Amino acid sequence: MAANRMNFLQGKTVRKVVAGGHSRSSSTPQLSSTSTTIYGGGVKDPSGRITEYSSEDDQCPVCKSDKYLEKKLRLLVSSCYHKMCESCIDRLFTLGPAPCPICNKVLRKLAFTPQTFEDLGVEKEIAIRRRIAKEFNKHLEDFPSLREFNDYLEEVEDITFNLINDIDVVGTEARIAKNREANAAIIRENARKEAQYALTLQQTEENERKERELRAEELRREEEEERHARESGKREIIDRLERADGKNASKVIRETRKARAEREAGKKGGPTQGALMRARVAATATVAAKDVPHVPFQDDYYAYQDRYLLQPVYVDPVSEAVRQDREGIMRAGGYKVEEAWERALRFAVAGLDLAPLGDTIDKGGDVIMSTA
Amino acid sequence: MIPLYEASSQFHNWRFSAQNLDQIRSSLNAAAVGVIRNTFEADQPGSSASISFLNPDEELLLVRLYASKIPQLCGFFRFPEEVEATAVSYLKRFYLKNTVMDWHPKNVMLTALFLATKTTNHPIALDAYANNIPKTTPSDVVDLEFLVAQSLGFEFAVWHAHRALWGIWLDLQSLPDAPPDRATSQRDVYEAALKHVRSSRLSDAELIYTPSQIALAALSIADPELASEWSHSKFPSESASIPHLDNTLAAIRALIEAAANPQDVEVVRAVDLRLKICKNPEKVVGSKAYLAKKAEEERKAEEKRTRKAADAPPTEGDPFGDELAGRLVDYDDDDDD
Repeated sequence: MAANRMNFLQGKTVRKVVAGGHSRSSSTPQLSSTSTTIYGGGVKDPSGRITEYSSEDDQCPVCKSDKYLEKKLRLLVSSCYHKMCESCIDRLFTLGPAPCPICNKVLRKLAFTPQTFEDLGVEKEIAIRRRIAKEFNKHLEDFPSLREFNDYLEEVEDITFNLINDIDVVGTEARIAKNREANAAIIRENARKEAQYALTLQQTEENERKERELRAEELRREEEEERHARESGKREIIDRLERADGKNASKVIRETRKARAEREAGKKGGPTQGALMRARVAATATVAAKDVPHVPFQDDYYAYQDRYLLQPVYVDPVSEAVRQDREGIMRAGGYKVEEAWERALRFAVAGLDLAPLGDTIDKGGDVIMSTA
Repeated sequence: MIPLYEASSQFHNWRFSAQNLDQIRSSLNAAAVGVIRNTFEADQPGSSASISFLNPDEELLLVRLYASKIPQLCGFFRFPEEVEATAVSYLKRFYLKNTVMDWHPKNVMLTALFLATKTTNHPIALDAYANNIPKTTPSDVVDLEFLVAQSLGFEFAVWHAHRALWGIWLDLQSLPDAPPDRATSQRDVYEAALKHVRSSRLSDAELIYTPSQIALAALSIADPELASEWSHSKFPSESASIPHLDNTLAAIRALIEAAANPQDVEVVRAVDLRLKICKNPEKVVGSKAYLAKKAEEERKAEEKRTRKAADAPPTEGDPFGDELAGRLVDYDDDDDD
């Protein structure tokens, strides 16, 4: 269709919508993406584009022209959420602010935005939520307790609901203004933090992209070199074969290949792919080093180390067979006779000076077993 | 910092004083006699008057007899010393929680030995084990296994005196003026000390003293000078530990020497004959008391089951909860067209 093609050239995606059918489909941009959009009108999809909504039965409520008569018909949304075609907007608002032909609210030409959702209620809700999110941007850390934070969220949701459904707009606006005054410093600070966070994200992404490009470049160069080396090797073999007429051909080939392999082994000194990767991991590790290192469970036992001195070797007929068993038939994996010796020494000194118990402990509770 | 031995279950739960042991055994004996007497009376009033029950010392005699059978069995199966010592410890510990009149030591001994082969990592197939012991079926061995393990409190690790003796023997080579060939030239001293350690197993020594003290006492019987030389190298000469250690060693030596005397088999046999009459009838398969006990247990279990069934909450309705009422859900609004 010509109109479609035109719109495509203008950088807009037009969705064909079956009349009367459900037009909110997977192409609808995800709400989550709205949180970072700065542009007031329209909702960007994850790739940052605005997918405009339009349908075959679009009709301008002001001049009643529709797609059938006007192929290029494009409806924009005013700040009072009424649709108008571009020609009507030009006609009504070129000379400055004018009342909306539907609700009489004073509008400006620049306040019109493209339509993203079929349902203008959604459009409105998103715009309100975006505005509220800017005004009420306190975090859990800004509150002394979770309870207060939850109350705050409740209040925010309350205000949002009022605005969306036009309940007590004046009072709600007053509440917003009051909050703005009371928390001006925090709001500014949080906004600054968010902007900074967005910036860092962007930078990280940018750095990663550059690095990927660098790696791809490196890989390409290596491949090129390898190909070059292979070709020169082949040429070398042919040259040698030409020169060595009397000699055995296969021997020449073997020798040449061997020489080349040696050269290549010598060349492998430079930073390889693996080395680059390791360097990168090390670079990121310095960032992660802020984490407290994992401390495994450590028990606090005294193993009598100062009571004995383990000799490197003992005259020990008991363990002779094990020690002479070179094939390890008698030993389980990891058996060391030194460890067995050390254990025996530990047993020899363990509790050597422990006095036997007096008859103070009452073990009468254990009698129960006998009646079972 | 807890010293390793003092962190062990052996130190915490299996260390007693001599008086304490007597007390435990007599209270176990009294409790068992009371229970068995009641059982006999319930079966046939007045029948218990003529029965002479075993006293704690006679019980101990039987336990000691069967403990002395363990080395023979281990020799037959070629089990290492570790298994043998562990099995004896298990047997002795078991009879600090149970009495001979409830569980005959012959069966418990077989089970303890089988359990010890497993806990010391020298396992043997149950059939191979039971088939090589006359008049024993595999079920004789495994039926008691859980009971034994439970009585031991599932504390299977044992600190053994023979290992401590090995350690002392090795450490003697670290003494400043030790002859380099002591381990071979004085080998008979080690063998003698090991023999004393083995006989100490038939006594209560390991329930009262630490393995290192028992090993040192055994060495001091075999060669008093060597033992005192080593113990003085471990403690500074003016230390207060020395006289107290000497007292302890003397007490252990007395225990070992008493245990080394062979038992009078006739006396033990007479005790065993009396045990046939006075053992707990509830534990004898087929007897009236046994059947009565089984019926009682069955009744209790049934009662418990019915109570449990009654207590359970009614399970009518959808286990995933009732359907969400009045909620408009647009099932056509799938997100993948």
